[in-house]
Amino acid sequence: MNAPRRGFLDSLAPGARRAFFGLALAAVCFLFAFPVLWLMLTSLRPESGVYYVHKGLEFTLDSYKQVFSDERLVKAFINSGAIATLATFFSLLVTVSSGYMLSRFRGPIASTWFGVIYAMRCVPYITWVLPLYFVVQSYGVYDTYVGLLLPHIAVHICFFSWLMKGFFDGIDPSMEHAALIDGCTRWGAFYRVALPSAVPAISALAVLCWLFTWNEFLFAQILTGRNTPVITVVMSQFVSEMGLQWNLMSATAILALVPAFVLTLFGQKYVIQGLKI
Amino acid sequence: MTLKNTLRKSFGEQQRFMLLLIAPAVTLLILFQAIPIFIGGSASFRDWMLTNPKKTWVGLAQYVSVLTDPAFLEIVLPNTFVFMFASVTVSLVLGMALALALNRPFRGQKLVQTILLLPLMVAPVIAAIMMRWMFNDQFGIVNVVLEALGGEARPWLVERWSAFAIIILTDCWLWTPWFALLLLAGLQSLPKSPFEAAAIDGTTPWRVFRYLTVPMLRPVIIVCIVIRSIDAFRTFDIVWALTGGGPARQTELFSLYAYEQAFVFLDFGKGSAAAIVGGLIILVVGLLLYRILDHVRKVSQ
Repeated sequence: MNAPRRGFLDSLAPGARRAFFGLALAAVCFLFAFPVLWLMLTSLRPESGVYYVHKGLEFTLDSYKQVFSDERLVKAFINSGAIATLATFFSLLVTVSSGYMLSRFRGPIASTWFGVIYAMRCVPYITWVLPLYFVVQSYGVYDTYVGLLLPHIAVHICFFSWLMKGFFDGIDPSMEHAALIDGCTRWGAFYRVALPSAVPAISALAVLCWLFTWNEFLFAQILTGRNTPVITVVMSQFVSEMGLQWNLMSATAILALVPAFVLTLFGQKYVIQGLKI
Repeated sequence: MTLKNTLRKSFGEQQRFMLLLIAPAVTLLILFQAIPIFIGGSASFRDWMLTNPKKTWVGLAQYVSVLTDPAFLEIVLPNTFVFMFASVTVSLVLGMALALALNRPFRGQKLVQTILLLPLMVAPVIAAIMMRWMFNDQFGIVNVVLEALGGEARPWLVERWSAFAIIILTDCWLWTPWFALLLLAGLQSLPKSPFEAAAIDGTTPWRVFRYLTVPMLRPVIIVCIVIRSIDAFRTFDIVWALTGGGPARQTELFSLYAYEQAFVFLDFGKGSAAAIVGGLIILVVGLLLYRILDHVRKVSQ
């Protein structure tokens, strides 16, 4: 498999070889971007042209207008955004302190907590997602913000605590010791001294957490009903309910992509920086 | 007052601070993870129809019914393993190729990198819907192109194996960039000197790759494979949005099977048992994979 290809490449002049690589890479990029581009093109076609996206040059923003006039869709976008943002905020609040504890302290409490997190992390997702339906119902929060938000925060606890522990391990604790000696309280040492130096890592986690919650489907599918539509669930219902309105579906999909795209473009730097520590 | 005093005696100031730091996390973990796991475990031993929750204890009957269900044994399990193997292998190979290509600076590298990041931002559900549209039997672009090239249009999502292949394709589209990014980060942290030495010796690129890059990257590759395999095993959203498990439940993966038992056939007991069976399989598979790959690493050293 490899030998003939290498032979073929070796027989080319350096310039041609570079062109070959360039073309191959361009082709790969095209294939990766194509589905999204195609979706965008479909979303811009008028209803009459949607089945023949490749023919004709009529373009319109009607589908987008229609999406914005659909109350349920607008509500779904708002819900998804609110839940992703709140989940990110609270997940970080809960896991940063837990990761800090794991990194800075020893003893039975710390080792027990680490053991619990590790064990919980090993329990596969699906085994606790199904019964979550009953749990959330018995707490009386089924199909509400809180009912979707709290499990989303809980799902991140194990992994994020573990990551945050790693980040804090990489930060020298001597500054905090100095602060304590100077009469700072333990809380002060935590949020005045340790927290600011962990900001890159926290930003990285924030970006990942937001994207994950925004794109999440299974939780939302099980834990929400009519009152709290979120975008991924509404999209999946589209397929059966509005099976033939591909222009509307594409417009919704593109709109759902935009926040994630913007966030990744701006957050890329933090993610790469933060995860390198 | 006395309780407070005993607490104060048995927990020093530092211990109380430690407990306070983890208190919110512990509470949430108990409420939304420990309790559901317990309920799911208990439900798997009970006759628990959503329409008629008698909750009578039936012992291992639900497990027997899952493990003797021909659909589970002959379709769901093989599907899940084929899916996991195919998706992880293809994305690993492609991701590796892309990481190697991106490891050398060239003009437009930033642009290429951004394009390759694209699938990471797309929700799996949306990716599945995109593919569904592209492979639509009447109007999808794939059939249009095929026909233009003189081929024959096919009902992609109506036939079992082509539908299954599209599910795998979608997963590879979503996850190849993830492999590429992690492997690229790994490549960039490798020491330069062995590669320089190989270049001076005039070693062929293939031998450099085989005897230098792969062995040195092995820890990263192992972690990527194990994490991704476990995730692939429990894939739910793309199957749900692409085929819904069809045609005739032929493309169901294990998570969808458990979900359907519980929420479509309303048999929560059997659904829970299926989820636990699958969970145990993932645990064993994950451990085995780790062992095998770790063993390969030790032998090769």
